[in-house]
Amino acid sequence: MSAKFGTLLGTSVVKKQIVALTGLIGVGFIIGHVAGNSLILFGPEAINGYSDMLHAVPELLWIARLILVASLVLHVYFTILVTLENRAARVDRYALQANHGETNWAKKTMIYTGLLVFFFILFHLTDFTFPDKTGPDTVLTGSEGEASYGLYGLVWNSFLSVPRSLFYILAVCCVGLHLSHGIQSLFQTIGFFHDRYTEKIRLASNVLGALVALGFSLVPIFVILRHYTFGPDV
Amino acid sequence: MSTKINLTLKVWRQKNAQTPGHFETYQARDIDTDASFLEMLDVVNASLEREGKEPIAFDHDCREGICGSCGAVVNGQAHGPERETTLCQLHMRKFRNGDTVTIEPWRAKGFPLIKDLVVDRSAFDRIIAAGGFITVRTGQAPEAHATPVPKDKADWAMDAAQCIGCGACVAACPNASAMLFVSAKVTHLNVLPQGQPEKTRRVLNMVAQMDKEGFGNCSNHYECEAACPKGISVKNIAKMNRDHLVASIAG
Ligand code: HEM
Ligand code: FES
Repeated sequence: MSAKFGTLLGTSVVKKQIVALTGLIGVGFIIGHVAGNSLILFGPEAINGYSDMLHAVPELLWIARLILVASLVLHVYFTILVTLENRAARVDRYALQANHGETNWAKKTMIYTGLLVFFFILFHLTDFTFPDKTGPDTVLTGSEGEASYGLYGLVWNSFLSVPRSLFYILAVCCVGLHLSHGIQSLFQTIGFFHDRYTEKIRLASNVLGALVALGFSLVPIFVILRHYTFGPDV
Repeated sequence: MSTKINLTLKVWRQKNAQTPGHFETYQARDIDTDASFLEMLDVVNASLEREGKEPIAFDHDCREGICGSCGAVVNGQAHGPERETTLCQLHMRKFRNGDTVTIEPWRAKGFPLIKDLVVDRSAFDRIIAAGGFITVRTGQAPEAHATPVPKDKADWAMDAAQCIGCGACVAACPNASAMLFVSAKVTHLNVLPQGQPEKTRRVLNMVAQMDKEGFGNCSNHYECEAACPKGISVKNIAKMNRDHLVASIAG
């Protein structure tokens, strides 16, 4: 068993299928995350309530976190590995390499959008996941008696910085670009192809990628527009 | 109406795998637009020989698009600019008078260079040998209706079997991956009833051999399908991925 397992892990197809499976887990998470995030647009009760719900059963939360971290680690390890192997497979470069008509920018930049997303995730965790959600960073300007707005206040204050918001928007556009190819690609990698549905999956993948980028961007855009047009945040 | 054109060729010249290669510029004069790309190279080679120079080495055999011997990357595209056309079937009317044409060999670790535009594609033979066969009883041919084949499966197998093993998929792939070739060879047997007994072993062994030959992994760019002179579909890659998944779990 273990010898066979080891051999299989070394094959190109299995390596890509691990990338696809871990990517799929990430896609599931991201779709849930973008939907959950949009609750911010409905005020502090909505998003803080959602956050409390996720934290209600710590065991479940930790199981989910464990799966996500393991998926990310495996995904990053195997994508870097296959990317290096792919470069080694073309020892001599072409003087001229034209597009035959199928590849595109999103496909060629998977490793770069991926790596940027990786560093963004680290930054993002230190930004919103690890900090204390009752401290001074959660107090909104204009709130009475220095009242804490919890996670809502933390996110809000963070996005008041325009450069930080722009960095977030850039990062989530990378997520969107990564997924616009990633979702359609994972179906092919696990072996799903259908004469009619594959066309639709390719379209849905591009649409979902765009929606994810847009959905995540909405939060910093909303915070900045609201703050700089209406003044006090409460 | 055929006319004559003049071209500037930039051709990859390399004595052998050990010697570094370089581009050499040649003038191709009075090329008939009805000539094929290989005939154009013949004309250039004839004049090189007259000048006592070494002719450009390139592979060819049938010159009618069925053997899979020919192939070069022309202006960055495997087999040149025309879709579903081998280099031997590419006509010079696709070029304009005064064009500069860059001609390079297939570049892949799995295809070591032999000379100029000729590469060693024996990796493909070893992949076939690893599983591209079925077990048949020798002796009398079986009765044709003994093994019914559904029409859709027969069509799929025939489409996959169109592959002539030229290597354009590897040449066009940004990762120099051989997945389109291998998947065509796996699938044209794996979809047929005659291919079932070795189905699991076939996919595992042919993929393992492909990896051993140093080809890249598939990132689903689909450049292979666009470059394939026989229009082999990436659907075969999905099918091979599926068969491999089933084989690694259950096999
Ligand atoms: C939330 C995070 C991420 C999600 C949801 C995600 C999702 C995906 C999906 C679905 C695929 C397609 C798999 C396939 O082709 O079958 C993919 C491919 C890829 N991912 Fe990610 N990814 C994420 C993060 C990353 C990170 C951090 C890296 C950094 C190295 C990365 C690098 C890649 C690369 C290079 C590929 C292409 C592999 C190939 O086809 O050769 N991804 N990703
Ligand atoms: S020479 Fe036979 S396919 Fe071109």
